[in-house]
Amino acid sequence: MSSGAPLDPESEKALAYSKFYGGKVGTAPKVPVRSLQDFSVWYTPGVAAVSLAVQADPELSFEYTGRWNTVAVVSDGSRVLGLGNIGPEGSLPVMEGKALIYNYLGGVNAFALPIRVDGAEQLISVVKAMEPSLGGVNLEDIESPKCFEVLDRLRAEMSIPVWHDDQQGTAGVSLAALYGALELTERTIEGTRIVLFGSGAANIATARLLMEAGADPRKVVMVDKKGILYPERDDIDQLFVKNRWKYDLALKTNGDRLKGGLADALKGSDALIAAAGVGPNLVKKEEVAGMNRRSIAFFMANPVPEMLPSDALAAGVEVVATGRSDYPNQVNNSLLFPAIFRGALDVRARTITDSMVIAAAKELARHAKDKGLSAQHILPTMEEWEVYPQVASAVGDTAVREGQARKSVTKDELLHTAMEMIGRARKTMDALRSGGVIVEPPE
Amino acid sequence: MAQPRIRHATKEDSQHVADLMVRLKRLNSEFDPLFMVVEDARERALDYVSASLDSPKVLLLVATQEAKVTGFLRAEIRERVFYKPHLEGHITDMYVLPEFRRKQLGHDILERCSSELAKMGAEIISADLPSRNEIGVHFYMKRGYRRLTETLTHLPQ
Repeated sequence: MSSGAPLDPESEKALAYSKFYGGKVGTAPKVPVRSLQDFSVWYTPGVAAVSLAVQADPELSFEYTGRWNTVAVVSDGSRVLGLGNIGPEGSLPVMEGKALIYNYLGGVNAFALPIRVDGAEQLISVVKAMEPSLGGVNLEDIESPKCFEVLDRLRAEMSIPVWHDDQQGTAGVSLAALYGALELTERTIEGTRIVLFGSGAANIATARLLMEAGADPRKVVMVDKKGILYPERDDIDQLFVKNRWKYDLALKTNGDRLKGGLADALKGSDALIAAAGVGPNLVKKEEVAGMNRRSIAFFMANPVPEMLPSDALAAGVEVVATGRSDYPNQVNNSLLFPAIFRGALDVRARTITDSMVIAAAKELARHAKDKGLSAQHILPTMEEWEVYPQVASAVGDTAVREGQARKSVTKDELLHTAMEMIGRARKTMDALRSGGVIVEPPE
Repeated sequence: MAQPRIRHATKEDSQHVADLMVRLKRLNSEFDPLFMVVEDARERALDYVSASLDSPKVLLLVATQEAKVTGFLRAEIRERVFYKPHLEGHITDMYVLPEFRRKQLGHDILERCSSELAKMGAEIISADLPSRNEIGVHFYMKRGYRRLTETLTHLPQ
């Protein structure tokens, strides 16, 4: 590390383990190799018959190859974690980690694929070119506003699911947490006044998804570094040219045409979703104190939330969530994306619609409710692995009902398949560890 | 909400039109550094609007909604010395506040402009805008305008 600062224990471990294992994921055979004779089936000459069948009907590539369960985790390395533009090689350890989560929690055959590209057009072109090999694409850590253009174009132009976790994943899990908090505080999404603090990829996507889920645009207020977003703000024409997604929200939201700063936005509001940057004092006690009673606040920044939960609770907020696992109510994308793709892949979906994400969020919230909602429990945790198949089946079922599935299956069948696939991933890990293929890390 | 009204600008509109003029010039600055806006743009805009109101060769229209000026268009009559048709109505500036876009207001202002310029003798109409303003270019082309001239610019080192 160039700074020379001492590393925390997790960072020390990450460096040592990464070097020890030489990467986190790899390919593994799915078929038996009993003798070298088997290659005449798995490879030439037998494989030619399979190729010709797929040539005649390319959709068979979802049946005769591993395409149906394969997801590329693609990044251009332009905005990696909080590290900025560290390039494709720099992003590789992160993408490998993501692929591992897909594999372990979703039973998805994901692999890391950082690419060196120049601008949105080339990124779009490269990803489109890979479509024949993939069941889906997970875009990751791409700078804003380029990520909006890339996702919108690829969703429109490809026939497999394309997902940008920094947008849809964060938006979906925030919605799930909000559903839980709204139920607990006896509100409806339609009647709730929601303030989004921060206007990067996460909150722009969250605002869009909230409105798709029924939030009243007039009651949604966005706040960025320059204050409340409204149509006549001085920089709106700049957004018109450079960030049309944020520009659209400036026109659509804030029906009361509020002006001013965060305190002005929060006065009389019900819920705050902050994704504005590393805290802990980006949001102040006096600002949240102006919210309505039984208020809700999510502070999503990592590693330090925009406001410490203890401060928010002291200022009168009833339900607090953060992105961290050491506080109650962790709003974590990992609750969502493995299951989203499990469900989408199991029906060979052509896309992931907002309705599929909303169905996933509702399923997460339902699971939390079944276990008992409280101010400290509005979402399941990652340990509750049974939630993943349930979310997957809800996603797949929505795809079937919306006509986005290549394969029509019932919700029960989807649940069964998802349980089997995710269960198999866990069993594989256990087998690889107990068989000594994956050894314990060095002390 | 009341329907927008399009009318000739008056001296009472000067401050509002100057504000919108500065917004337009700042928007243009997003497309190219050679459109960097001067610091005293507001004062210059007021003078420009005043001179426009006094000129018989200039058309200055405003769109209003409940007494608020929501957009404006400035055009001037130019002579085409060597070409026929001889008189050209040239749109130099047009701006609609963001909140009032996508509601046909720009279209309506342009329609009114066309009929007013015709009354002033213009036989063809042209418009001037930054070449990188693709949305603006699309707006005019969608309404039958086509590229006729190219303005090439050079910044000597």
